Amino acid sequence: MSAADIELIDVHKHYRKGRLDIPALDGLDLTIDAGSFVAIMGPSGSGKSTLLHLIGGLDAPTSGVVRVGETRLNDLDEQGLTEWRSRHVGFIFQMYHLVPVLTAAQNVELPLLLFRMRSAERRRRVETALQVVGLEDRMDHRPNQLSGGQEQRVAIARAIVTDPQVILADEPTGDLDAKTSQEILHLLSLLNTDFGKTIVMVTHDPRAASFAGRVLHLDKGVLERDERNAESSPLAAS
Amino acid sequence: MTLTYVLAQNLRRSPLRTTLTAVAFALPMGIFVAAISLVAGLREAALANERELRLAVHHRITLTNILPEGMRRKIEALDPQRERLTAVCGMRWFGGRRPNSQNTLTTLAADMDTFPVVYGDVGMTAEEIDAWRKERRAAVVGMNLAEEARLAVGSRFSLESSIPPYLELEFMVIKIMPQDSKASLMYFRRDYLEDALREADFPLSGCNIFWVKCTGAPAMATLQREIDALFANSPNETVTQDENAFISNFVQATGNIPGLIQMISLVVVFIIALIAGNTVMMSFRERVRELAVFKAIGFPSGRILGMVLGESVLLAVSGSLLGVVPVSLGLAIHPVKGLFLGPIGGLKVSPIGVVGALSMAVLIGLAAGIWPALQAWRLRTVDALRAAA
Repeated sequence: MSAADIELIDVHKHYRKGRLDIPALDGLDLTIDAGSFVAIMGPSGSGKSTLLHLIGGLDAPTSGVVRVGETRLNDLDEQGLTEWRSRHVGFIFQMYHLVPVLTAAQNVELPLLLFRMRSAERRRRVETALQVVGLEDRMDHRPNQLSGGQEQRVAIARAIVTDPQVILADEPTGDLDAKTSQEILHLLSLLNTDFGKTIVMVTHDPRAASFAGRVLHLDKGVLERDERNAESSPLAAS
Repeated sequence: MTLTYVLAQNLRRSPLRTTLTAVAFALPMGIFVAAISLVAGLREAALANERELRLAVHHRITLTNILPEGMRRKIEALDPQRERLTAVCGMRWFGGRRPNSQNTLTTLAADMDTFPVVYGDVGMTAEEIDAWRKERRAAVVGMNLAEEARLAVGSRFSLESSIPPYLELEFMVIKIMPQDSKASLMYFRRDYLEDALREADFPLSGCNIFWVKCTGAPAMATLQREIDALFANSPNETVTQDENAFISNFVQATGNIPGLIQMISLVVVFIIALIAGNTVMMSFRERVRELAVFKAIGFPSGRILGMVLGESVLLAVSGSLLGVVPVSLGLAIHPVKGLFLGPIGGLKVSPIGVVGALSMAVLIGLAAGIWPALQAWRLRTVDALRAAA
């Protein structure tokens, strides 16, 4: 087996609702290579978000092993997982979840407050992240002064400012129109191809999934199909 | 940027809510400072009295009963060597009013010979004592009274008594007392009053109270018992108290003001805590998902708890400062003076009041924020993110 960035071995995840034991993931085995762009698709309740949360260390499997890079997440307690996430994972959410009273630059700076870093160094990283997403001229704008697409770009900048290995995106274009969605997906592709980020994206949208090099189809917690797409990115096509 | 900055900015999310909550803190905390300053002033006055080692001897039934002058000599005879008892000063209530005023001033006629000894804290110089002895109409006046009536040393003024036979007497100021505890008082010579009463054919002479200056605390304790024992089973049975007990009873006769102030302050503080708690809970409920995102991007639960608590304390303290600072500065620059303030004369800002108010604000902030902070600490990121989706 080649050095894998993400590995799940016989992962089961069950949730308890009253007396009912509801399986979210049922014996999942999965390997995601470093530097790949993977989309996860499936109907509601198929286990997509659960899979994302396990990879991101937000939740623990009921049984099985989750490994990201050199780290076996099962070995970490909650504090360890929190610290691991701050260094190795960037999250992008459907609703952006920016702090409305902070500027774009300040929102991007938030994850850096967890590290001992000079303010000049923080400033430099924030500027770089905003340049990557193309919003260097919007640094002092508050979220209510930005469009939906710009807000998501700020959220992406926040996700990459700590230079994580893995970016996890949960329906990143779910709240955007088609044109803006394309821009965001182009940006994610850029992060993958130019910066070597491993990207795992949950989506309902086949057009969004077409940007990924690999699409995993889940249903009832089981991996139904695993499609590899050689011509994954519209960037490659153009 | 720091986390403290983030907390401060969070207060701007809902400017109206923050402003209303801040005002809810500001007004009561400003009043709290004034109230505690008043209580501190009363305590300071009490401490000052304690140092003077004076006993108050008055009729057991009522202070208004006149005690015969001869009782002074009997009290003095308890300690002819003057080892426990320095001097005795008889005082009689005059209750003077300025012309065209209904306000009764605390005016007392005091024994000419022993007043400067028993009331050494008035701080009369040798010249002033000389003037007190030579001038029958001599009056020693508190600074509030002097200010209100625009009196200076040498001023002449008249007062009419509020009790029978409603004498009108003229006085001359020989000293203005600078002490806060004496600010609303006036003393004059009792022989002057007694002469005027005789001229008015008013038969009753004597004193409402004898002040006994003691040499020390043990002497006070023994003399207190001996004086009451001396006059027990007589028509003029006495109650002898130390000065603070006497003043406390006197003040409490009009109601337990310090106790009432403290009780009202506590009630107000409790109400503020409820308001603050409601505000912080509302703010937390609105931001559950945002806090979940903070946890997702790597903020530890302990830090999230600290952020929620910190925001609550910041709101409480900044709101309180809006009230505490103006009141404190106001009282520091221009202390409230007035005869209505009774034994303390002037209301000055008390550092205890300021520190107390701000400490109270911190405690209220912590109390209001602890429950939402614990909920934030326990927040399951996954569940909150699912709810957001």
